[in-house]
Amino acid sequence: MMRVKRLGVIAGAAVALAGCGGAHSSSHARISVLRASSPACPAKARAGWQRLANRIDAPVYCPSWMPDPLDGVIGSRWNNINEVSRDRSYLMSWVWQETGPGAAGGEKHVNLRGYPDRTRIPRCVNADSKKRALIPCFSDAGGKVHAGDVTATVYNVNQDADQWHVLYAWRYAGSLYALSEHVAPPFGYAKVRRTLDRILRGLVLVQPTEP
Amino acid sequence: MRLTRRQVLAGAAASVLGAGGIYELVDQLGGESPTRPAGAALPPEQHLLDSVAVIVDNDVEVLVPPLHHELVTATVRAGDLRAAQRDLSAVLDELDARYEPTPAGLGVTVGWGLPYFERRVPEAWRAHAPRDRRARKFALLPAVRFPSDPKETVLEQNEVAVLLRSDSSDHVGDAAGLLFDQLDVFDVTSIRKGFVGGGFEGSRSLPKKVAIAAGVPGADLIPDSAQLFLGFTSTQKDGLGPRLISNFETLGLVDLGPRDYFRQGTSMHVSHIFEDLEAWYLNFDFRERVATAFRPGQPGVREGTLTVPQKPTKVDTVRGVERDFKVQGRIGHSSAIQTSSRLATEHVAEDGTVYQRGTAIPQRADFNTLDNPFAWSSRPRVDAMQAGPRAGLHFVVFNPTSDDFHRNRLAMDGVLPDGRRLPLAVRERNQGFNSVLRTTHRQNFLVPPRRHRSFPLAEM
Repeated sequence: MMRVKRLGVIAGAAVALAGCGGAHSSSHARISVLRASSPACPAKARAGWQRLANRIDAPVYCPSWMPDPLDGVIGSRWNNINEVSRDRSYLMSWVWQETGPGAAGGEKHVNLRGYPDRTRIPRCVNADSKKRALIPCFSDAGGKVHAGDVTATVYNVNQDADQWHVLYAWRYAGSLYALSEHVAPPFGYAKVRRTLDRILRGLVLVQPTEP
Repeated sequence: MRLTRRQVLAGAAASVLGAGGIYELVDQLGGESPTRPAGAALPPEQHLLDSVAVIVDNDVEVLVPPLHHELVTATVRAGDLRAAQRDLSAVLDELDARYEPTPAGLGVTVGWGLPYFERRVPEAWRAHAPRDRRARKFALLPAVRFPSDPKETVLEQNEVAVLLRSDSSDHVGDAAGLLFDQLDVFDVTSIRKGFVGGGFEGSRSLPKKVAIAAGVPGADLIPDSAQLFLGFTSTQKDGLGPRLISNFETLGLVDLGPRDYFRQGTSMHVSHIFEDLEAWYLNFDFRERVATAFRPGQPGVREGTLTVPQKPTKVDTVRGVERDFKVQGRIGHSSAIQTSSRLATEHVAEDGTVYQRGTAIPQRADFNTLDNPFAWSSRPRVDAMQAGPRAGLHFVVFNPTSDDFHRNRLAMDGVLPDGRRLPLAVRERNQGFNSVLRTTHRQNFLVPPRRHRSFPLAEM
């Protein structure tokens, strides 16, 4: 099986629009962190995440650490997907790819998602089924991980831009969030899990500010 | 001192035969062997292993195969075939005396390839070769590539293959040393090692422990008590052929020739397959893994179940597979193979044994491996030997004839017994397991009865 992901339709994000107004507070500009000791959203990344939070009028998670060379900066050279759907769900993706044998080649690909005002797992088109049925975008739950106030479920089988990724999903203030990384050389499953754990520990919650 | 290439190769092979290498992990991690029933007298068949324990999992009877496996292939070195026949026979008799043919003892199965019969005993072979009545061919055929095989799959030309099975790696090592180090009749061409099982009473299984310890990609995703890397239990009693069913004579498929020389023999297929564990566990959720391994829409399988019932009364049919394909566009591994691997009608064997419709015919002896693709090869470039461990399977199966195996394997690719070829692309996701498998080597062997296991037909 080729390790080729479908980066096409994000089916679930385009359906099931929720009403405006969530459980979050948008009266003050504030950036809170998962843990008191966690670092802040890096200065070069903060403006982009704040703009995203404001655009979707919901909290977003800024990564204070990403595997080198990925930087978590929206609009940086590694940020290959910067997408907000009509339902305000977002997909931010950073990818590094290098072709070459052994250690000379490889890929690092991290996705961060948010689904404002909805907590159900989105549905994706099963591109491999004859009927193109809708299936959960995240499945095969394989345990929980904890970081600060976040308790995330680990999903091992994921669709669309998260295909062949390990994905952590959690709920906050009536919204669903997800963080995933591609299992591909040079990272195997165990290493990806350690990387995801570290990214999760470093996530910084960015609340929307008043317009 | 100058060594010939043969001496160098023999020395290298001996060091692999004797050393555990990465497989020492199997001993360290395997823990206690399962409790085994006592053995019986030596059967006339070589391929049978007696006193295999049976456990019940998910209300399904499951056979507990030996933990350690080694398969050694070779060419014949000896010029004097009759002397070699006596020498090998003496060593095999010695092993029979040392170990009973059980998992607690040692299973030794010697299979002979077409190159042996055609090069060493061509006239006797022409006179006594068993013939497959249904296929109208010899019961022993050259290996072929199947539709899902890559073009690189090596069709091997070994003269002999010896399968060693035991719960004790010492027993396997002892036998390998006697046969290939001390006995001077073979030039070893490859050594293939592996393991299966463990996970008794819910403990972490041997494949999972060994894969994790070896750092195999995807090892963490293997279910804890999985008998094999791909998760599902493969040795349930209903899924394996009963004791004598794969003998040449049992199902009446084989014309044994003028003197029944090979009566109580069988045919053996040996292949090596790489398994992409990450592809399996990261792209197929549990529901799809069940559909892929068994059948699309397999009913009533609770999430996390590893032993899925495969009763003779519930086997799939050609029509059922075609219907599933029409509706869902996919086939399941087991259901597709069952169209050819299960008895289509009741059969009464010549000894009076009644085999019910739906009874499994093949007797599998496959085992997981970290070989890449072999533990050792005399032709590393031809065999594409690579450093480091890699998840795979040495597939070993006994069928009444090579053609019978070929029919099963074709069905796995969607080429059904009625001749219909389901329109599936090569190794596509909907073609059962094929998208996560890659076959590197294949060969068919003839397993003579015990009385003729040493250089068959050489006495003629």
